Amino acid sequence: MMYEFKVSELAEEFGVHRNTIRNWINAGTLSAKEGPGRKYLMKFHDYQKLCEKFGREPHVTPSNNVSSKALGALEKTDIEPLLVNGVKSQIALDPSWADACLTCGTCASACPISGVDGLDPRKIVRMAVLGMDEELVKSNWPWKCTMCAKCEEACPANISITALMRKIRGTRKRSEVPGPIHKGVVMCLERGNNLGIPKDDFVFLCEDLGEELAADSCPGFKTPIDVHGARVLVTVNSKEPFGEPDDMKWWWKIFYAAGESWTLSSEYWEGVNWGLFSGDDESMKTVVGRIVDNMRRLNCKVLLLPE
Amino acid sequence: MNRWYPEALKEFKIVTVFDLLLEYIQEGKIQLDKSVHSMAVAYHDPCNYGRKSLKAFGQAYFEEGRAVTRACCDDVRELNPNRNSAYCCGAGGGAWAMPFSEERVFYGRIKARQISESGAHLVVAPCHNCRDQIMKSLNKEYDLNIEVKYIWELVADSLIMPNKQ
Repeated sequence: MMYEFKVSELAEEFGVHRNTIRNWINAGTLSAKEGPGRKYLMKFHDYQKLCEKFGREPHVTPSNNVSSKALGALEKTDIEPLLVNGVKSQIALDPSWADACLTCGTCASACPISGVDGLDPRKIVRMAVLGMDEELVKSNWPWKCTMCAKCEEACPANISITALMRKIRGTRKRSEVPGPIHKGVVMCLERGNNLGIPKDDFVFLCEDLGEELAADSCPGFKTPIDVHGARVLVTVNSKEPFGEPDDMKWWWKIFYAAGESWTLSSEYWEGVNWGLFSGDDESMKTVVGRIVDNMRRLNCKVLLLPE
Repeated sequence: MNRWYPEALKEFKIVTVFDLLLEYIQEGKIQLDKSVHSMAVAYHDPCNYGRKSLKAFGQAYFEEGRAVTRACCDDVRELNPNRNSAYCCGAGGGAWAMPFSEERVFYGRIKARQISESGAHLVVAPCHNCRDQIMKSLNKEYDLNIEVKYIWELVADSLIMPNKQ
């Protein structure tokens, strides 16, 4: 808002000479500019400051004016400005992960857990821009996020928000990865599947289930394990042999009905790669490599992923 | 595999559950009985097969799952917004296995509302995580009173078994 004044009026108000006011304007002490009809314009805020400086009450107080007392109190509650100091994020490696963000917040309105822990995708991206890597890695928010990419689909600047999220996850110390995800990765690397089911148990279970299926609805069915030259190699989500073994029979029944040539592998049959979720590329690669080896060993033509 | 073992892609083919089920259905290898699932059925788009697959591999599985579901049921409903704009079930990205269960249930509130608004009695989920979240968590938390099946479970339950000697 602008305050309009005549030099003579202002001089009278402050008890100085008109020339003094002109000098202040010329010297920039008073930032005013010429307006219409031998009047001058200055920001109302500057007028307020001038009054404050000389201990006077402004002789006009517009209805939308904030009194300087209230303003002072407000200024005190303002947070300290954050100094960026040229800190560069070691997480947001690619400009398309954060830097190109327009801060519009469309991502935040698309995200079902915006506001949880006071965070949302926009804030995460902003933190990355500001180089707040430590806070990002410490936060549990990127782990509550399901990396569903709804934010990314909504983003007009095409920021790779899920890639950023996965990088944040991957940067956390492996011992601090929440839940069983990293333990599953370690287990898989050591024992071939996320839940550590031994080979003999797996083979026995599958054969047993096959006999049940044969008796139940598929006469003559026998679970194919390590069958060389089968057309389809079937990978398994380890939660099924672990906790819901009967659920494997649905696929087996379909294979039976379709007359498919298929096989399970007795080792490295895990089809779920938790490295994808924990942000662990190295482990992920190892597990993928084992499946490739299985395909070659069993000479299969088609690989079926469990989901 | 695209990234680390490009040479392996030339040796063999990688298929999703959709590719294989559709192949069996389209080539007439399996016969399905629609009367088994006469109820209203809603199809849920998993993020990893839709939106994320589109971005990572340039190909999304939106229509394939619907085609398979329609081959098994007549009354197939949508959970809008769907396909590329679908809402996540709330358990993706490993969240099903993680300790933040309150947030996970909160996350799923949109999916739960969509399901109840669709009037479906059966929800078809092509993904392990989604099925577990919808069946074991959202169904109870939000009193949805629905059945949830994997898409291959739906197919297996609809099978007309061939007579083999």
